[in-house]
Amino acid sequence: MPKYHRPTSRADALAALAEGGARARALVGGTDLLVGLRHHHDVADVLVDLKGVTDLPEPIVVTDDGVQIGPTYTMGELVSHPVIGAWYPALVEAALTVGSVAIRNRASLVGNSCNASPAADTAPPLLVHGARVTITSLDGDRTASLDEFFLGPRRTLCGPGELVTRLDLPRPAPGSASAFRRLTRRRGVDLATVSVAAGVGPDGALVVGMGAVGPRPLRTASAGPVDLTDDASLDRALDELLAPATPITDVRGSREYRLATLRVLTRRAVLAAADRRDPREMAS
Amino acid sequence: MTTAPERAIDQRDALGEPSDPYPQGQVGRPVLRYGGGDRTSGAQRFVADLRFPGSLQVALVTVPVGCADVLGIDVTAARAVPGVVDVVTAADLPSPMPRFGVSHTDRPVLADGRVNYHGEPVAAVVAETLDAAQAAARAVHVDFRELPGVYTLDDALAPGAHRVQEPSLRPGHALADSNVLEEAHYAWGDVEAEEARTEVVVEETYTFPMVTHFPIEPGGTVAVPTDSGGLDVYSPVQHPYLLQRTLASVLGLPLNQVRVFAPDPGGGFGGKQNPKLEPLLAFLALRTRRTCRLVLSLEETFQSMRRAGCRIAARTGFTADGALTFHSVEADFLIGAYADVAPRVMGKGSYVAAGPYRIPGVRIDARAVMTNTTPSTAFRGFGSPQVSWALESQLDAGARRLGLDGLEIRRRNLVAKGEAFVRGESAATADGEWQQSLDKAAELIGWGTPLPPGRGRGIAVGIKPGATSGLSQSLVRLLADGSAIVYAGTSDMGQGARTLWQQIVADELGAPLEQVSVVSGDTGTVPFDLQTSASRSTVFMGSAVLEACKDVRRRVLDLYAESTGVPPEQLGERPGVLVTPDGELALPEAARVALGSLRGEFIGQGTRRLRGKGKHPLGGDAAFYEFNATAIEVEVDRETGELLLTRHVTVSDVGTELNPLQVVSQDEGAAIMGLGHSQMEQLLLDEHGRIRNLGALDYRIPTFKDVPVELVSAAVENHDGPGPYGSKGISEGALLCTAGALGAAVADAAGVVIRDLPLTPERVWTAIQAACPEEQDAQ
Repeated sequence: MPKYHRPTSRADALAALAEGGARARALVGGTDLLVGLRHHHDVADVLVDLKGVTDLPEPIVVTDDGVQIGPTYTMGELVSHPVIGAWYPALVEAALTVGSVAIRNRASLVGNSCNASPAADTAPPLLVHGARVTITSLDGDRTASLDEFFLGPRRTLCGPGELVTRLDLPRPAPGSASAFRRLTRRRGVDLATVSVAAGVGPDGALVVGMGAVGPRPLRTASAGPVDLTDDASLDRALDELLAPATPITDVRGSREYRLATLRVLTRRAVLAAADRRDPREMAS
Repeated sequence: MTTAPERAIDQRDALGEPSDPYPQGQVGRPVLRYGGGDRTSGAQRFVADLRFPGSLQVALVTVPVGCADVLGIDVTAARAVPGVVDVVTAADLPSPMPRFGVSHTDRPVLADGRVNYHGEPVAAVVAETLDAAQAAARAVHVDFRELPGVYTLDDALAPGAHRVQEPSLRPGHALADSNVLEEAHYAWGDVEAEEARTEVVVEETYTFPMVTHFPIEPGGTVAVPTDSGGLDVYSPVQHPYLLQRTLASVLGLPLNQVRVFAPDPGGGFGGKQNPKLEPLLAFLALRTRRTCRLVLSLEETFQSMRRAGCRIAARTGFTADGALTFHSVEADFLIGAYADVAPRVMGKGSYVAAGPYRIPGVRIDARAVMTNTTPSTAFRGFGSPQVSWALESQLDAGARRLGLDGLEIRRRNLVAKGEAFVRGESAATADGEWQQSLDKAAELIGWGTPLPPGRGRGIAVGIKPGATSGLSQSLVRLLADGSAIVYAGTSDMGQGARTLWQQIVADELGAPLEQVSVVSGDTGTVPFDLQTSASRSTVFMGSAVLEACKDVRRRVLDLYAESTGVPPEQLGERPGVLVTPDGELALPEAARVALGSLRGEFIGQGTRRLRGKGKHPLGGDAAFYEFNATAIEVEVDRETGELLLTRHVTVSDVGTELNPLQVVSQDEGAAIMGLGHSQMEQLLLDEHGRIRNLGALDYRIPTFKDVPVELVSAAVENHDGPGPYGSKGISEGALLCTAGALGAAVADAAGVVIRDLPLTPERVWTAIQAACPEEQDAQ
């Protein structure tokens, strides 16, 4: 049975994590961590609950340049935030597929990112929107793009004694938009068989985030603008964008099915995102 | 705003059915569920909520394979865990190992040197706390050698296959040295001669997956040793009296020393009928002289109950105008490591493998094939969904070949009331106007009206034999103030049986509904009931309660005569009233007069018994048949294989709706459950016989988001059932043919015929790819 700490300061939290080392876990919503501990998929000696810490970054700060999200910001808060909805529609679509209302009201966006599931629903849109994380330890802060942050299944840059204290999303360029699509075995709560987020720039440049088709969530971008009115150009773009996908066959789906539907869903997400762009901003 | 019950009834009204056929009474009304408020608010106490101060907690020890010899068990480390009271292995139990079972006495209390399925316990830890018990269970070291277990039908039937069951357990049985536990054979007519006049022959093979019951309440058992050397056992079982008998037999105790308390199961669906781990808990309690408690995890529930998978090879003949000529079936039921009630599932399911149709030549050969998997048991539908999937798909295949539609081919072959659909020595005839249900389902789905592209419709029918023998006994006490208590041993697992007893007693004794209470779930106070299964309770226990009420009325009449001096022949009784020379007297008032100043009460007894027939292959004629027609409209996403059910209609032949609200909820529940095995549910095994999708994460059941856009249920009432007021059992009908209706709808919508369930998005996509490879690159 792990020891439970509920520090009130960031310094105490970092100290507890440093002391616990590899067997310490930061806890916010617990929607991934507690399930893992209960089923003995994860082992911990120390749980450091961040919900009582008073000097962590605010749950959400909106500036002219983007949005900063703190570790205690929940999926439930995220899906109803008007600025998130306007700037990062794919992120809201993705967050709305996470668990159930009750789960979303506990689950932390940052915590879910740190869990680094290859199938995490919010990872593809966060990758598409160029999220960066701030990793803090007793030695100070460092930052990394989320694409660098994800190392493999359940593995991230955040090591023993470290804590992700902030996730930054830059404000999207005018005339761009995003959309999220995913495939599951049923319509109710389910883990993704395949998930994908697409970002489309005002000029047709594409960014794609993919889930459940590799050991970690993947991000790719087109070399330049794509003529979305031309099927052949979009096809060629998809060939390149989806090339890094290396799905496996498991209980949720076969490799072949995942590859085929990844393409279907990416095309749908791209076209949905393209339709979402504001023509006035695209013209400007 | 309307409440849920009002909506359900409004729906029935819209279908032109009177919702209040009994304006004077409670029977026929949508009375709210007895105890339903507690169940919804969380106040109801399930077995896991019961508190037993000072009790010991139990954890089970298993090995990570489906088939193994146990070479040794080292409990040293486990015993050293603080708080551990006992670690019990087969060596600590009587020798030979006690075995139990409803159809074969084959199931050991603990694995006896051999593990026959993944999850079978080889040891049990008893400790002061659950944490200690679980930590110690992980510390038990089991030395085992994996054996080449059989996990599929092909494995089990291969020459030289590993034998799941020791041949010595079936001494002298012709099949003892094989994995076929039992066979069933039914035949009538001359199949070869019929084939000679056949225009079209359809020959295909179908599979139905292993699925688990997934009750929301996993369940568990608490065994309490009594001062007199007996046991009180708490277990949310459907058959408390069977558990009592099994425990008494295994422990060598008289029945009165084993008292079973059966807290309401939180869902059973057949999975909580037969004893499983209760005998082990009983031994633990007697050994430690302490209360022993085991609450199962969902994963452990998966490893203790499932439906038999099935593979059916069928040949079916049709004349040019679509009349069935013959139907020949080989059905292999994939049962588990112990018999449980699986041979009967095989025998009873295959009995109706030719369905409710007029078929001159039929041959059915079925086998129950043992494998090293979770023992399969009763599950809503009891073998019928498996055979229905094959037969209904065959009908649609025939219809497509002949240019008929799914409705027309069924109309041409469905038997009329009184006509035999099983012929020969043990014939069975239609006990309802079944075509009315078919026609109503067609009407409600809008059969024949145009559909947008990408959509399709399917329609199917299914039947299931009800109980073939039974015994239910009930006591009804009419108290001095006109209130009443019913003692009825039916387990209420969410189907709402107690509500019906309340309604019946209210009408028959004239008591206000809210002043009728029901006692159940205690073999120490409630009279015998054989079982809560096969949708029997309305017919069997309902009749017993009705009889007990009549008994009370006769007693009221007699005592009234004695107390008042009115000659008994001048008195009469009917529901709710005593008829006197001075006019009608409400029964409670007559009872008050009769009882006089000493007060007291009237005790009525009722019994409903159906004796079996020794020579009948099912042990007797079914008391009734459940008949259902289901029609589904579906939209198929050709690029992903996803299905959107836009409309789902289910119509059941119910005799009489004693409580229309409960009929709707049973029909809707069964329909959604049927979508589970049709669309998404399946237990997947790895090469060691372990369940790969063990738990809620990867074993998918329908959620409310998976319910069809429109789900419509309707009932046909002809008051022609054997139960009270013409009722029949109704709780299984709506899942019997869900798969057939959905399969036909997908074929109609997407042009692909799939013969393996479930119709997952991937399976539908794969079929579309195979049929139309050009879509592989289509956008």
